[in-house]
Amino acid sequence: MLNFEEELKKFKPSLEVEDIEQAVYGENLEDLTDILREMMEQSK
Amino acid sequence: MNYAERFFRQSEYWYNDGLRKANIRDLSGAVSSLKRSLQYNRSNIAARNLLGLVYYGRGEVVEALVEWIISKNLKSYENIANYYIKKVQESQNELERINQAIHKYNQCLVYARQHGEDLAIIQLKKVIQAHPTFIKAHQLLALLYIETEQYSKARQLLRRAYKMDITNPITLAYMHELSQMHKQKVSQLKEKKEETVTYALGNETIIQPVSASLKDNAAVLTIVNIIIGIVLGAAVVWFLISPTVIQKKAQETNDTIVELSEEIAARDTQINVLKEELENFRSTDEEAQNAIVSSQGTQESYETVMRVKELYDAGETSNADMTELLLQVNPETLGEKGKAIYDEVAGELFPLMCQRYYENAQEKMDAEDYAGAVSDLEKVIQMDAEYQEGNAQLLLEEAKQKVGETE
Repeated sequence: MLNFEEELKKFKPSLEVEDIEQAVYGENLEDLTDILREMMEQSK
Repeated sequence: MNYAERFFRQSEYWYNDGLRKANIRDLSGAVSSLKRSLQYNRSNIAARNLLGLVYYGRGEVVEALVEWIISKNLKSYENIANYYIKKVQESQNELERINQAIHKYNQCLVYARQHGEDLAIIQLKKVIQAHPTFIKAHQLLALLYIETEQYSKARQLLRRAYKMDITNPITLAYMHELSQMHKQKVSQLKEKKEETVTYALGNETIIQPVSASLKDNAAVLTIVNIIIGIVLGAAVVWFLISPTVIQKKAQETNDTIVELSEEIAARDTQINVLKEELENFRSTDEEAQNAIVSSQGTQESYETVMRVKELYDAGETSNADMTELLLQVNPETLGEKGKAIYDEVAGELFPLMCQRYYENAQEKMDAEDYAGAVSDLEKVIQMDAEYQEGNAQLLLEEAKQKVGETE
């Protein structure tokens, strides 16, 4: 049997047009190259 | 091969995987693969644009715009993201409508968390109507329908969501849940059905629980069925056949009564006719008797007259005796000749005898022998009703009165 409360938690608010700018700036654009580069810098 | 090149290849691999999944409407799988592709290479424009497109396909237009804007920032020219952004911006009304729908969806999420399921359902229906490809709204509404036990509506929504995204875990989970519920319901109904016996009795279907003895003993069940059959048969005979037989008998009785009535009426008519005939015969017979009596009277009167004539001519018989004989004669019955003889003899005898009887009567009156006076006077009146200018009649009346007083 489904737990209604638990299932509701899985639903997140959807982005509205007003949120686009914040969402674009807040987007995590880090990729593996960045992580690897950071790791290499840390190892130096 | 350096790491960067490896990462690019991995990124391409996951992009291809995402593209393949997107092509078969496995949008959730495509999102997952494309995000992985971007983790290997954030500058994989094709992957980002496709991710935006997949978001757009799931009805998440703003998420799509975010990806396309980032894509445009990473590569501002010869980028299909420009086209997508332009197309979305061109139809401002459409975007506004979708944005309103998304706003309502977010509100519904709040209502649902605050146990306002009914209000959330109403709003979500409008959201889906305004933005039919918004999978999240379908899923949330389905969840609310399940919560409010409107399973068929939930199933319908989930089917639509499934067509748009065949591997969405939420959609699949809810469909599975509904399927389990359905199976459970069917098994419960089956159990209930096994616990009851259903049979038809007349026009009615009887559902009754199966008792343990009936369940275990098929023979008893058979006997019960036979009894029910007999009862049904009896009911059919009682309600269908008997009325027809009774009606037929009643009809036959009525017919017999009608026939007898007609026969009785015919007999009555016949009896009346016979009665009339009998009356006719009787009256005819009476007339004949009268005629016979009359003819006998005529004969006797004639013989009496002839005898009185002979006695008168012989002169040996007293006037009183001859008068007595003559008074027995009815002159009306005599013929012309008989009447002439009668008048001749009566003309000689009656005046003498009237005087004698009258004088005798007067004497008897004086002697208070009223009965004798009456007898004499009746003879006088018979001979001459107007004798002594009616005095004989008056004297007779007086004598009769005296006789009555005496008695």
